[in-house]
Amino acid sequence: MMNDLFNQLFSRRQLLKTTSCGFGFLALADLCTRIAAAESTNPLAPKAPHFKARAKHVIFMYMGGAPSHVDTFDYKPKLAADNGKSADGKGNGRKLLKSPFKFSQHGKGGLWLPEIFPNLAKHADELCLLNSMYTDVAVHGSATSELHTGNFRFIRPSMGAWALYGLGTENAELPGFITLNGAGGTANFSSGFLPASYQGTKIDAGGGDKKGGSQLANIANPRLGAELQRKQLNMLSQLNRDKLGKDQINPELEGLIESYELAFRMEGAVPQVMDMSSETSKTKEAYGIGEKGTDNFGRQCLLARRFVEAGVRFVELGAGGWDQHNNLKAKLTSNAHGIDKPIAGLLEDLKQRDMLKDTLIVWGGEFGRTPAAQNDDGRDHNNKGFSMWMAGGGVKGGYRHGATDEHGAAAIDKKMHINDLHATMLYLLGLDHEKLTYRYSGRDYRLTDLAGVVAKDVVA
Amino acid sequence: MALARRTQLALMPIVAATVIAVTAAAQPKVMPGRPKITPGATEPRPSKEGVDFFEKKIRPVLVHSCYKCHSGDVAKAKGHFVLDTHDGLRKGGDTGEVVSPKHPDKSLLIEAIKYEGLEMPPEGQLPDEVIEDFEKWVEMGAPDPRIGKAANPKNKVDLAEAKRYWAFQRPKEPAPPKVRDTAWPRSDIDRFILARLEKEQLKPVSDADRTTLIRRVTFDLIGLPPTPEEIDAFVNDKSESAFATVVDRLLASRHFGERWGRHWLDVVRYAESTGKERNVPYRYAWRYRDYVFDSFNDDKPYDHFIVEQLAGDLLQTTNIAERNKWIIATGFLALGPKSLNTNNPEQFKVDEIDDQIDVTGRAFLGMTIACARCHDHKFDPIPQTDYYAIAGIFHSTETLAGVSAGKRTATERQLLTLKGNDKTLKEAKPETKEQAAQQEEISKIEKHLDDLHRMQKQAMRKPPKPMPGNRRPQGRPPAAKTPKIDQKRVREDIKKLEDQLDELEKEPTPLGNYAIAVRDAGAPADFHVLVRGELKDKGPDVPRGVLTVLRTYQTMRLSNPKHSGRLELAHWIADKMNPLTARVMVNRVWEHLFGQGLVDTVDNFGALGNEPSHPELLDLLAVQFMDQKWSIKKLIRSMVLSRTYQLSSAHQSSNYEKDPGDKLLWRRSRRRLEAEAIRDAMLMSSGQIDLERPLGSPVMELSNRQVGGNKGMQEVRKATNVRSVYLPILRGQVPEILAVFDVADPNLIVGKRDVTTVPTQALFLMNNPFVLKQAEQMAKRILGQSGLDQTGRINLGYRIALGRLPSEHERSDLAHYIDDYRKAIATGNAKGNAQLAAWTSFCQLLFQSGEFRYVD
Repeated sequence: MMNDLFNQLFSRRQLLKTTSCGFGFLALADLCTRIAAAESTNPLAPKAPHFKARAKHVIFMYMGGAPSHVDTFDYKPKLAADNGKSADGKGNGRKLLKSPFKFSQHGKGGLWLPEIFPNLAKHADELCLLNSMYTDVAVHGSATSELHTGNFRFIRPSMGAWALYGLGTENAELPGFITLNGAGGTANFSSGFLPASYQGTKIDAGGGDKKGGSQLANIANPRLGAELQRKQLNMLSQLNRDKLGKDQINPELEGLIESYELAFRMEGAVPQVMDMSSETSKTKEAYGIGEKGTDNFGRQCLLARRFVEAGVRFVELGAGGWDQHNNLKAKLTSNAHGIDKPIAGLLEDLKQRDMLKDTLIVWGGEFGRTPAAQNDDGRDHNNKGFSMWMAGGGVKGGYRHGATDEHGAAAIDKKMHINDLHATMLYLLGLDHEKLTYRYSGRDYRLTDLAGVVAKDVVA
Repeated sequence: MALARRTQLALMPIVAATVIAVTAAAQPKVMPGRPKITPGATEPRPSKEGVDFFEKKIRPVLVHSCYKCHSGDVAKAKGHFVLDTHDGLRKGGDTGEVVSPKHPDKSLLIEAIKYEGLEMPPEGQLPDEVIEDFEKWVEMGAPDPRIGKAANPKNKVDLAEAKRYWAFQRPKEPAPPKVRDTAWPRSDIDRFILARLEKEQLKPVSDADRTTLIRRVTFDLIGLPPTPEEIDAFVNDKSESAFATVVDRLLASRHFGERWGRHWLDVVRYAESTGKERNVPYRYAWRYRDYVFDSFNDDKPYDHFIVEQLAGDLLQTTNIAERNKWIIATGFLALGPKSLNTNNPEQFKVDEIDDQIDVTGRAFLGMTIACARCHDHKFDPIPQTDYYAIAGIFHSTETLAGVSAGKRTATERQLLTLKGNDKTLKEAKPETKEQAAQQEEISKIEKHLDDLHRMQKQAMRKPPKPMPGNRRPQGRPPAAKTPKIDQKRVREDIKKLEDQLDELEKEPTPLGNYAIAVRDAGAPADFHVLVRGELKDKGPDVPRGVLTVLRTYQTMRLSNPKHSGRLELAHWIADKMNPLTARVMVNRVWEHLFGQGLVDTVDNFGALGNEPSHPELLDLLAVQFMDQKWSIKKLIRSMVLSRTYQLSSAHQSSNYEKDPGDKLLWRRSRRRLEAEAIRDAMLMSSGQIDLERPLGSPVMELSNRQVGGNKGMQEVRKATNVRSVYLPILRGQVPEILAVFDVADPNLIVGKRDVTTVPTQALFLMNNPFVLKQAEQMAKRILGQSGLDQTGRINLGYRIALGRLPSEHERSDLAHYIDDYRKAIATGNAKGNAQLAAWTSFCQLLFQSGEFRYVD
């Protein structure tokens, strides 16, 4: 067997530093020219924003299943007062159901938060609640694509892919767009018609009931050291580029070539970034790692910080199970518990490292839920009004943007469509959503397509 | 309310109470939460018989045949007449009074449904017996217990308008269009493609060369690369029919069914476990898989394929093997994802039905019928009543997947037993006495456990309080005093029983002669609307039926008390009159051969789908498909023999400017190989592939318990060299190599797979032990070939992996690479076989190359 036979003298880092063109063989000169040419058009190279960026990175926390806003971030005293009354047509003849949770005010901004987020509440003055969200459909799959891509009908590039397309990435050894949970299938982190290299990379965050911690499959070669693998990839790159030359235009092959280069760089960088052993036990504890219920999301949050710190542009995390058609109180309590400490830990950590100011955190699900009861202790889907929140990255803290009606059935004040959310996120990243376009099939496309208004109110 | 009624009841004399209770039971549709309005102030309360008659015979017909135009908002209803409320029906519309109680001869309603004057419903006359029912009902005084507003007045579907939608028109064979370049087309397919290209001022590129073409068609038809011998034979065949010879050989190959059957398995969300929270194996799902492969190999007429899958158990035959096959076919309905955590059997059933409606609607019809579970379809003309008309069919069907609501494990008891002694049954042994006893024991323990859980739950429940706003129609009987139980003891007992179960279920039962399938339920019956899809909000009954917008014959009565209606449903789908069935299937086939469907949204032909790029071509193919007795092989043959299919993938800038996505097919779009084909091609190149069909599936080795931690998982994970389509597909546990390359998620109906390009795929091809092993085996194969020098070896490697010879340039680069690599290893104080390592690296390079992963 060839195992362990080829351990190399060079460390991978040395290798990357000293041999930018790989190993010498006859095609060296030629190859160097090609790589240089490729580098100048590297689609992932950092690009200047359209205007001053408030945020450089995004951590998007996707809450799959659509969390109930009236039980979390949209305090509705009138709903409690009208508990049991008919929802007047807004709930198809159902009765209004008050939130089972106590709300109280927090921070200087006095935001109302429910008792199920005791740790997050300590950071109330970082939160910018978006209470007037609405979206087009109340079907999970479609609304999830809309949340991720701005469109529920077609497969379109995901917001992470757009961010990468607009800004490139700061660390060429890591994917620029990472999804730690791969929410709702590949379409939600695909590059759509954008070049394939903008696609999100799925990484298993580990933790929870999974053994062995976080990992990325096949990150290390069991036989070859870095030198020999580099040699192989140089040859591969040459073969692929020959083919590309023949094909003239072949975007898939370009993406493929880039994917190998990135994979090689990842082999060095990813294990380092994902190795949490350098974190103190106090830090881990602050994120709820190792604690029942919070371990999984805690790991995701800490990994997100490490990725962002390393320069990753867009990280998506996820916690599912928010589809409370019944069993609202118990499920929401445990769901909230699962994310409360981890998010608080992340906010604290980012603040301490002075990273919160340029890291935009966005929290939310695909839609909200009805103020009226379903199955006595549940709520139905509601796309007409729901809540998300932002933090860091140049948004106002302790602030509440927009509102739903008195019961929380529909957004009425400063209504914010998913397209508006995306426009605002891009704005915070220094991108004009109307200028960030990509020509495909005869017309220019945008993340916000033909809509989207930046909610300037939320900008600090 | 329920409580209030009970209180009232308790206060009444026994006799009166009985009467009231009966009346209440006979009015299940009455919403107790609503204000009581005495129907018609001057009218006497309808008798029980009258109400019964209305509910059974009249209301369903009104809902099904009249509501679409005569319900909801009076101002918008046809003729300003609504009959979804008592008052509306009594009041009449523009033409005045419609019902004259006790006088059928004076009632406009009767006149209209008899087609004397007005003709209602306009789609076709109601069956005679229904008309008689209506006459009788009017004679009875038109008893109508309905109060308040109709259940579903919003989102009315305008069916007359909807019928004009393109996909609901029967396909007509179009005349082939005129083209300017008459020399180019080889068939009508080409004429349609070229005419459109000419119209848009695009020109088709050159034809593909033969080595490209044979690689393309071999992957497309059997999912494997051509061997060097096959390539040579084609390249050297100078006859005119050379390509047709290749195509016919591939169509006749037993691997054809594996390739095309797998496409079908994507669409029918095939998997070998329940998925969801309690992932329990379907140990006999593979029989359905093999059935599908055989069906494609046998070129089974597609219409019969449909009928077998929906209702094979109801077809008549005396041939035992055929009978088995048809039973297995209905696995189509049974194999969906199921949530065993659902404790309520009726909830479990309606969820199962939803899956069955979804797969039936989308796989065969490209219709998202399941969207109408909770309300009328928002975009397509599918009223909620249509959903429940079909739901009634499946509600009258018993699904035998070996699992049931709230159970932790599967059981052979809930499967269908096959008879006979064909190959796959030979290994099967009948249940031994010991096993039967064991099953008996398991059932007993399960029942005991259920009881304990129930006790535990009841004890924990707080005494019921009348809650304002709690409107439970029937209400549970008031929980007699909460029993005091020893919680600790119960917990211990549960633990003990669960341990016993674990012990009993540890070993898999031996392979049995079972099939996952369906059969008609004991007492087929119509189902009713579930308002907003909620189990406890019962709406009106709906006679079993099909999509109203596509009802091809009005008189079709599915509500036969003796049958579920599945066979009728199947025949309605597999009917030439159905405008969707053939179109949807030819479009699926087109998509697999050309990379995108003529309708790009292959699983959705509804309003949210895309319109066809070449509507007439789609119709031509559909009509020809049906005329050719629904032969899939003939359909494929006609497509691949077209010139369009045989175009090269060359770039052409002016075309590219106008149509970068190649929607109009001016060239061949390059295609990424599917996950299965990538793996199979590596195994073919290494010479390690096992092309035989394995008997069954490793999933048979699992016990009936949950997949995680199941003793048999080692067997499931064991590396084998069988074709990828035979790898075990457990939901949530799809083999890595398939998952990395975008295999269809078996929880979803997937007509078109995702194609992604991500570094995780690169990492797989760089570092995964399977890839390294195949590369090494291929290297050994090349080095083992006698009489080859280095050039000969490089040539052979190229021919095996890429189906062509390397260019001079490639050959010399690679020669240097191999020498260089060998030296690097030899000097790196390694003791390994430098020669083998260098050639292994060469072979792995070929696997990694874009050319290997894509087909031109």
